[in-house]
Amino acid sequence: MKLPFFHNPAKASDGREGGASDNPGLPLMGGQIVPGVTDTTRPDETRDESFLTPEPEADARGAPAAQRVPAVTAASGTAGPTKIMARDVSVFYGEKQALYDVSLDIPDKTVTALIGPSGCGKSTFLRTMNRMNDTIQGCRVTGRIEMDGNDINTKAIDPVLLRAQVGMVFQKPNPFPKTIYENVAYGPKIHGLTTNKTELDGVVEASLKRAGLWEEVADRLHSAGTGLSGGQQQRLVIARAIAVNPEVILMDEPCSALDPIATAKIEELIDELRERYCIVIVTHSMAQAARVSQRTAFFHMGRLVETGNTEEIFTNPRERRTLDYITGRFG
Amino acid sequence: MSVAPVKARTDRLQAGLKARYARERRFKLYGVMAIAVAVGFLLLLLGRIIEQGHTAFYAHELTIPVYMDPARIDRTYPQGTNFQLLVAEQQLARFGITDDAQGTQATAMRTLLSSELKFRAAAMIRENPALIGQTVPVTAPVSDEADLYYKGEITAETPSDQRRVSDQQMAWLDQLKSDGAVQAKFNSALFQNGDSTEPEQAGVLGAVVGSALMLLVTALIAIPIGVGAAVYLEEFSPRNRLTDLIEVNINNLAAVPSIVYGLLGVALFINWMNLPRSSPLVGGLVLALMALPTIIIATRSSLKAVPPSIREAALAMGASKTQTVFQHVLPLAMPGVMTGTIISMAHALGETAPLLLIGMVSFVPGIPGGLTEPTGALPSLVYIWENASERAFHERTAAAILVLLAFMIVMNAAAILLRRRFERRW
Amino acid sequence: MIWLFLPVLIALSALAFFGGREIASRRAGASAIKAHSRPSQHGYYALIWVGVPALVVLLAAAIFSGPIEQSVMQAGAPDSIAQLEPFRRDAFFNDARLVSAGQQPHQIWPQALAEQLTQEARRYGDLSRLLSLGCIVGALVAATLGGLFVYTRISPTLRARNRVEGWIGGVLFTCSVVAVLTTLGIVFSLLWDSLRFFQSVPIAEFLFGTQWSPQIAIRADQVGSTGAFGAVPLFAGTFLIMLIAMLVAAPIGLFSAIYLSEYASRTSRAVFKPILEILAGVPTVVYGFFAALTVGPAFREAFNGLGALMVGGPLDGLGQYLMLVQNQMALVAGAVMGIMLIPFVSSLSDDIINAVPQSLRDGSYAMGATKSETVKRVLLPAALPGIAGALLLAMSRAIGETMIVTMAAGLAANLTLNPLDTVTTVTVQIVTLLTGDQEFDSPKTLAAFGLGLTLFLVTLLLNIVAQRIVQKYREQYD
Repeated sequence: MKLPFFHNPAKASDGREGGASDNPGLPLMGGQIVPGVTDTTRPDETRDESFLTPEPEADARGAPAAQRVPAVTAASGTAGPTKIMARDVSVFYGEKQALYDVSLDIPDKTVTALIGPSGCGKSTFLRTMNRMNDTIQGCRVTGRIEMDGNDINTKAIDPVLLRAQVGMVFQKPNPFPKTIYENVAYGPKIHGLTTNKTELDGVVEASLKRAGLWEEVADRLHSAGTGLSGGQQQRLVIARAIAVNPEVILMDEPCSALDPIATAKIEELIDELRERYCIVIVTHSMAQAARVSQRTAFFHMGRLVETGNTEEIFTNPRERRTLDYITGRFG
Repeated sequence: MSVAPVKARTDRLQAGLKARYARERRFKLYGVMAIAVAVGFLLLLLGRIIEQGHTAFYAHELTIPVYMDPARIDRTYPQGTNFQLLVAEQQLARFGITDDAQGTQATAMRTLLSSELKFRAAAMIRENPALIGQTVPVTAPVSDEADLYYKGEITAETPSDQRRVSDQQMAWLDQLKSDGAVQAKFNSALFQNGDSTEPEQAGVLGAVVGSALMLLVTALIAIPIGVGAAVYLEEFSPRNRLTDLIEVNINNLAAVPSIVYGLLGVALFINWMNLPRSSPLVGGLVLALMALPTIIIATRSSLKAVPPSIREAALAMGASKTQTVFQHVLPLAMPGVMTGTIISMAHALGETAPLLLIGMVSFVPGIPGGLTEPTGALPSLVYIWENASERAFHERTAAAILVLLAFMIVMNAAAILLRRRFERRW
Repeated sequence: MIWLFLPVLIALSALAFFGGREIASRRAGASAIKAHSRPSQHGYYALIWVGVPALVVLLAAAIFSGPIEQSVMQAGAPDSIAQLEPFRRDAFFNDARLVSAGQQPHQIWPQALAEQLTQEARRYGDLSRLLSLGCIVGALVAATLGGLFVYTRISPTLRARNRVEGWIGGVLFTCSVVAVLTTLGIVFSLLWDSLRFFQSVPIAEFLFGTQWSPQIAIRADQVGSTGAFGAVPLFAGTFLIMLIAMLVAAPIGLFSAIYLSEYASRTSRAVFKPILEILAGVPTVVYGFFAALTVGPAFREAFNGLGALMVGGPLDGLGQYLMLVQNQMALVAGAVMGIMLIPFVSSLSDDIINAVPQSLRDGSYAMGATKSETVKRVLLPAALPGIAGALLLAMSRAIGETMIVTMAAGLAANLTLNPLDTVTTVTVQIVTLLTGDQEFDSPKTLAAFGLGLTLFLVTLLLNIVAQRIVQKYREQYD
């Protein structure tokens, strides 16, 4: 499948095999835009380098990382084909390493839950998949993340386009201080995905319907999105994310700020969305992971400890630490 | 709901991208340009002031042999002698020029000499009356216009309505210079004298002393009251309508135009309390009222930064509320308080408008000796000199600005050092 | 004069402190009861009771002795002076005060009055000596009474610490009341003299008249003559210069804030923020000097040059006009004032943009928005009320700014919106009316208070509205 965020497929595959540094001349390479560098507490010297994924090993060994390192577990169970493949992903915040050599396969049309105690690196890993870590000064990502077989960390990938493919939902609902309609229309508008008002109206309606919010807001599309309840806001944000028709949706503890009823609604929604998208969800709640996900990956101290089908992980974990965690001995 | 088929969607994403990045670059460029305008203007401002002012820091002095003519000098009252004319006539004779009956040439020559010459010569005679009848070298500044000519700010090309030096006088000045009688020296008068109507004698010292006296009054009044008010509002005050009113009031006072404080000073301190006009006392009082809100706001924010755990710890040890505040909280907040205070003092130093209203536009020669005597201040001196008609005051205005800025830089640097040295993060 | 008593008062207070401490420790030693407060707290208690009453007497004397002197002098004045018109009479007493202080009178008085002046000056000197003496005696009496009171009170059971703390609280409260008193002082002094002004010039005339020429009115026969005090040209001039200043400051200040908060790296932020702060710290008189001697001539030459090129062409009229443009055009004062306001707008907007939660930026970037799209479509709309408040505050600054306009704008009260014309502002006129050597009581000087009142009310209104807006905005994201 051809990825739309490549400007030049030939060059891009060069980049994949020969390293990122050999196509600096392309005018629209990623890295021209560094959104959201507002955190001033971190040194900024590595800011631009985070786009240049250092891959010395891949070059030296002359083989794509995917073939070198097997995933932690063999893909098993009901999942679709692998959508995202991470190999030896490490993340550094300045001097501090937050993630150690994570290798993980994430299948399409499946919900994959990332669980683990707080500070274990699961959110950090999630943010590598749409390169949101680029927005943090001093953050550096090494290793290889492939989506549909294409490395997303090369210069050839434009983070702006990547993020149009990979939607994200945050812990706290963060609707823009605009109308409900404007919130959902935001993505299609900035990306120029629709050509006229009717088309845009259609996208907004469809997205809201898919997010299960249409019934509740159809009569007040032009009132403020911030006026909705927490659960509604979170569904609005999901509608906003799917309005650009992404392939992957990342969810960073989407229910942690919500009450149980709103949580149930979101979980129901996630289950419906699974049919169309590859969903990765970070969650604190093991019960939630058990309810919504088919695959689970357990992180601890910045390392991926175990991954497998959710049922297996929860009933028959292979690792002692996983067992301790899911039975509540720590975390 | 598919936005478009995959291929079409991809194309659309791609198609907009170039324009989006162009917009991005343009937008960032606007930001860079805005910063560049601000920085460029600052450089231009400072550059122009240095360019205009640096010449005021040196001045030309004339060393000229003077025959202390016993017929013209009164032994008992040497300062009564018109030395400038005496010297001018002798110099004309040395140039071999015969004057007309009205002494036109001598008058023209005389205007090239500063009246300082008279004081210096008289002082020499007073010290050593035996000099009368001898020829002694006397050193004195040249007049302001002659000085400008030597500095190249007036040339023969300058239109004659913009200079008061005639072509003939220029020739004389050139002659004197080639005779080696003229030297450029550090302009110590600028730092040792008060204001004067003669530019070559005018100095900033009177204004500096006036400003210092004023700041003294301001500091003595504004700091205790400001800190006291902030401590009350932050640590003691109950939350009620009165304190809310005081708070709103302080925020609004901080934004009242400075000239309104000048009006208050005129009405309250001068017309109502009959305090002396143009005095550092009134100036200091007005500036104190102006600085008060700033000091209160700065003090409150540094008090806020002291964590409540300190207060709780002290209270738990059995300290009273007052003891807690004065022995623990206030000392911890002190660096912040002092930084804020110094910055507000620096601001008060540069404030001009209220000073004009309370009478500091009038010409005050000499150096003030007390809080109730009429005085000038540095910023009002800048205003007075800027309005002066003599061309030589232009460079001195810029020099006075440089002195003012130097004081402000010192104060701000002190504030920054203080903050660096004592800054504490909780 | 009476302030010379201050060192004596300080010495007395110190004496009270040490005495109180000594007495307290003796009485505690002699008593079987455990003392409630420590001796030094008794000392402070004594200090307060000796120092504060005397200080209050001195303060009251400083504030009220002037008016008292004035009324006593007027009550006892001979008929020849009492019959003078009010402005002349005030000026006369003013001069009498100057003479008694050994200074030269402001005015030259006719022979008969000049003799009276010496006499009145002597009377004034006697009176003020008497008053000073009275104050000092009063202060001493107050201190003594306070001391005696404390002497009877000191005992081991006295809760001296609590009393002292009560006093400290009271003093601190008084400090914070000073701010309110300042406001009241501003309001009353402006109102008082404005009301006197509006007795001679009708308020409608002042607010809506289009003719401003106060110098005509100082001629005695034309006091309060109609048409001379119409302030509309001043309001228009102030508005025009404010508008130009905002056109410069708003975009540049806003874009530098956006650049600093969203684009700049930590290092460039560390360089450029202090530079903006320096720009903010430059005294306005320096901007005025720069505007008058650098920007003004440069603009004039540019326009004159442009005009010279146009003369004779199809735009001959415009060219003729441009060749006559003066240094003191509104554009110069406005542009320089705009530059002065850049750091003000920038730092306020920077704060406000930074107050927008990071989650909104994250949300936008996660949608694939570029940085400028995020700023334009999310941050600015979210920060809009706050930025509007910041701009209102900047406007209030521009309206109240004095030195730049005094030095770089003109005095001619033209009713125009042409930025190349010379206009004058409210603040310029206040300075012009109140500087110079005329007495403070002529209608001309009172007009300054009328203008001051208008200025105060307008800026106050802008500030209150702006602060409300900004506060609401901040609460929204707290």
